[in-house]
Amino acid sequence: MSPSKSGGASSTLAELSSQLAAAVERAGNSIVAIHARRRIPSSGIVWRDGLIVSASHTVKRDDEVPVTLPGGKSVTATVVGRDSATDLIALRIEDAKSHVAVKADAGALKVGSLVLAVGRPGSEVAASFGIISAIGKGWRTWQGARIDTVLRLDLAVYDGFSGGPLVDASGAVLGVNNSALARGTPVTLPAAAVDRVLDELLEHGRVRRPFVGVAAQPVALSASIVKHHELADDTALLIVSVADGSPADSAGVLVGDVLLEANGKSLSRPTDLLDALSDVPVGESLRLKVLRGGTVKSVSVTPTDRGAGQ
Amino acid sequence: MNASVFGSARAMSSNLNGLSDLLRRAVVEVRSGSSGSGTGIIWGGAGLVVTNAHCVPRGAVLEVGGDGKWRGAQTLAYHPQHDLALLAAPSVSGPLLEMRDPESLRAGELVFAFGHPLGVRDSLAMGVVHAISRDERSNYPRWIVADVRLAPGNSGGPLVDAEGRLVGINSMVVNGLGVAVPAALVQRFVERALSRRAA
Repeated sequence: MSPSKSGGASSTLAELSSQLAAAVERAGNSIVAIHARRRIPSSGIVWRDGLIVSASHTVKRDDEVPVTLPGGKSVTATVVGRDSATDLIALRIEDAKSHVAVKADAGALKVGSLVLAVGRPGSEVAASFGIISAIGKGWRTWQGARIDTVLRLDLAVYDGFSGGPLVDASGAVLGVNNSALARGTPVTLPAAAVDRVLDELLEHGRVRRPFVGVAAQPVALSASIVKHHELADDTALLIVSVADGSPADSAGVLVGDVLLEANGKSLSRPTDLLDALSDVPVGESLRLKVLRGGTVKSVSVTPTDRGAGQ
Repeated sequence: MNASVFGSARAMSSNLNGLSDLLRRAVVEVRSGSSGSGTGIIWGGAGLVVTNAHCVPRGAVLEVGGDGKWRGAQTLAYHPQHDLALLAAPSVSGPLLEMRDPESLRAGELVFAFGHPLGVRDSLAMGVVHAISRDERSNYPRWIVADVRLAPGNSGGPLVDAEGRLVGINSMVVNGLGVAVPAALVQRFVERALSRRAA
């Protein structure tokens, strides 16, 4: 067939198309392929000089991890640390200065913003295109990590894309894609959350999470108790167990105590206690308001690091 | 809100209408007997239709439809490895589609699939080039893999770029991704089939 002008579409569409391709190319310069599982490789991002970030569940080994750099060069990475709660892993490679990802502030995104998911499930980059479908605030992963902002995507995160970046229309990295973190629906951990986890992994080899050692369940308070103690909420948390030797045990918390407040915030669901704990830096104390035998007491608990000694 | 905020989105939307108009004139529906149907591309302006081999079983009675009319068609050639078939359909005509060189495609470029998925006529779907799958020996593009939503009935239809140039022929869905035969392979198939007949 002889070439002739199709003439169906004009500049705006063609311009967008070439910008999207340029964005993928730009992002691709910082995306590596990680060969640490059966089937196809997963993706990783050169986050800082010599540091790769990826999705922890896709890296099934802890010793030498084979990595293919954007230019096609093969290198061996070592594991710096993992955080199962955010499913992030940090890997170290010799030198990758020229491949460090350009990042963008995910805070500027809105529902409807155009985005691309980019991965390297082999030697070449691959892409999918869509929009931000929702921006979740204060989301908690099923393993307990709280993430201030999580991006939900109207695009497909294909096999091998986990650990790769979500990029904006200019190719700047907004965060790390993960198809396992939210049980099937693809989500993106924003760059700021990745940075926080990465800092902890570099400093301590893992992410420290505060632990007090109680199990609690919601309990309804009678109207007379609410009125008598001038409580803000008619639901509180009943302590059903206290771990031996835990910070709560040392502070004198007893089974049967009813937790009303932590650091001034009322507690009505178990996640409220987790939220209060997340706000306490390791080493500082948490003030608990406890209802015991009809009187309100104040107890101070100093959380320890959940992972310590493991 | 300022109207200019939506300027390029509106321009893009009108570009899409233009693309859809072009493609509507460039395709037919291909029906084989009482079984399902696929999409075909009117080739070379008139008289020829290219579709997937799996849309036109050997020995089946073929009809191609467009403008509400159904006309008879005969298979001239098959290429089972590339899942292609060339049909003679004397009374159909449509616009010439420009070809896109698969070597110039980049991941992330916009692509559009047009066809009759699940019997819904003249449907347009937008996506991006996901990857180019190459032949292990020759390194030549073997399949164009696109992040675009296809369904049965899209088979044999065109995948085009943002300027309406033919990128490939949609042939299958693998792991949710659309897989198309590159336009250059289709063109070679048609040229060979016609020269064989002329000889």
